[in-house]
Amino acid sequence: MDFPRQPVRDSANDFAIDLADVHKTYGRKIRALQGVTLQVRAGEIFGLLGPNGAGKSTLVKVMMTIVRPDTATGTVLNRHVGDPVALARIGYLPEHHRFPTYLTGRQVVEFSGAMSKVDRPTRKKRASELLDRVGMGGWKDRPLASYSKGMRQRIGLAAALVNDPQLVVLDEPTDGVDPVGRREIRDLLIGIRDEGRTVLLNSHLLSEIENVCSRVAIMVQGRMVAQGTIDELTSSSRRYEIVVEGTAPSWCTDSASIHMIPPGQMIAAGIQGESCRLIFLGLDALGAQPILDRLRAEQRTVIAVQTVRESLEDLFMRAVTDPTTGLIYRPGAVT
Amino acid sequence: MMQTIAIFVGAYRELSARKIFWLALAVSLLVVALFACLGINETGITFIGWTFESPFFSTKTLSPETFYKSLFVNLGVDWWLGVLSTLLALVTTCGIIPDLVAPGSVDLLLAKPITRTRLFLTKYCTGLLFAALQVLVFSTATFFVIGVRGGAWEWTLFAAVPIVTFFYSLLFSICALVGVLTRSSVASLILTLLAWTIIFTINISESIVNSGRIANQLESTAIEAKLANTDTPVDDDEREELTNDLAKALDRRPTWDRAHFWFFGVKTFLPKTTDTLKLLDRWLLESASMPGRDEDSSRGPQQAFGPKRVKRGEFQRAVREDEQSHSIWWILGTSVVFEGIILGLATVVFVRRDY
Repeated sequence: MDFPRQPVRDSANDFAIDLADVHKTYGRKIRALQGVTLQVRAGEIFGLLGPNGAGKSTLVKVMMTIVRPDTATGTVLNRHVGDPVALARIGYLPEHHRFPTYLTGRQVVEFSGAMSKVDRPTRKKRASELLDRVGMGGWKDRPLASYSKGMRQRIGLAAALVNDPQLVVLDEPTDGVDPVGRREIRDLLIGIRDEGRTVLLNSHLLSEIENVCSRVAIMVQGRMVAQGTIDELTSSSRRYEIVVEGTAPSWCTDSASIHMIPPGQMIAAGIQGESCRLIFLGLDALGAQPILDRLRAEQRTVIAVQTVRESLEDLFMRAVTDPTTGLIYRPGAVT
Repeated sequence: MMQTIAIFVGAYRELSARKIFWLALAVSLLVVALFACLGINETGITFIGWTFESPFFSTKTLSPETFYKSLFVNLGVDWWLGVLSTLLALVTTCGIIPDLVAPGSVDLLLAKPITRTRLFLTKYCTGLLFAALQVLVFSTATFFVIGVRGGAWEWTLFAAVPIVTFFYSLLFSICALVGVLTRSSVASLILTLLAWTIIFTINISESIVNSGRIANQLESTAIEAKLANTDTPVDDDEREELTNDLAKALDRRPTWDRAHFWFFGVKTFLPKTTDTLKLLDRWLLESASMPGRDEDSSRGPQQAFGPKRVKRGEFQRAVREDEQSHSIWWILGTSVVFEGIILGLATVVFVRRDY
């Protein structure tokens, strides 16, 4: 494979994945990746989000040498993209994988190990351990043809881990898995991270990402539109909500008197039955005290006070929505 | 090496999971069992308890060893391994490359520390495993039949393994190219069979045209010799007839030569599937006291162009000598070049494609 070779940057040592300026155009028309930058720190679970056609799978495939980028700089495990030494230290479970159904679960895992150059005694030992770990110990000698989709997914996870990888790249690992299985896989991912491995998780299940990922990135139309911890990405949306009995105080909607609520800014006051919800953007507990004082001075009953932050789903929807039209971005980017 | 072994073990598991693999092996052994049931004695051919009298096939004309070798080459290799078993092998293995490049399957392998070129060529070689195993089983069983029934332990029989596998590899390279281009097992099978038919037709056409060309040469040479023979002078009527026939033969010669030039030219660039299998004739039957197939055959396309004034045996010998004037290196070399080009194209497509 003639992947573009660029000098390894010194800063790459901190990152399991450190890619920049990744471009990929399919058939001169579909710009799947438009200068994507991705940095995944060693030892973290990183979530890659985006709507269908955003370029997530293409980015993963570029890392795994399945797709040839037009340009790409940076490193994976401190090696050039496509370096066989790095590939031997990566575990990969693709979306819609197709393992040979005539093989048994154990044979699939051992084959994966052999292809990653794991010696025979080691891969046999690890295969048994991993099959037990993913809950397939009792099924390991039966052919995949007799497995459910969820069981094949578990086998895929074991196959991705057989080479004792430093980086595990999982594309929709819970696809087809029941809720109990999802919980088990989530625990498995946390276990993998606790062993010091890095996990890149590509999933549509936002709750799954929110539960296990330390950092996330959101891709839209071949571009990386957000990248960071969930806290960082939602901090701008942090707000303070105060629920009081009765209608909204007149000063809340009076622009002349709103300056008395520094440093917060009231963004909404809505009636909910017999109560009113006052929402303040960017206000912290200290800043809320003058407001509470005033409400009490007016003999208002404060029913609830809470800090509210945007959920990952809200963040995701905001990222994939065109702010000018309010419509969801179309999949892919056509030149 | 570990990866190569793993891919081959995987391929064996894939083959052994298919019923058609075991069916083909069983039929191979059945064919050999039928050979073992056939025998030859002083009066003719025997089959279990029956004897079929024949003036041509008996121990007076053939040794048991040559009889079994002839069965092996003419029926076992040419028909069973060269046609029927090859068809079964193509049906079984036509899906290997399309399965390799199928979404979800190729990702698992490309993400491993193995170059695409090596991965593709190793997979291609696993496709030859079916043919190689079939021929090996068939040759081994026949080896024992000839040894026990014919009294000769003929090790050259095992030359069939590389020869037939090479013959199969010529077709499988086409199958691999179509497979990587279309990602379809059915398209791979159909287009390979079509290509095989075209190659076979061109080979046969060249053979027919070449026979006609040789017949023309022999005929004119024979007439010229008769006209020049002063020991047995011909009368005027016969001389006139001979002169006319000679003129016709000489008149047709450029046509035969031109036709053969073009057919031979086309054939040169194609794999020599038929000639490759005929190499076994050279090695097995020529060393025996039995003449090759061409001399025994009383039919065949070349008879249509047979010269009037030349004995059939002489004509057949001339045709055979002409065929054998093509060296093994020409037969194998041009075929290897063809295979190399087709396989090279397939590899380039596989290596450069995004999955």
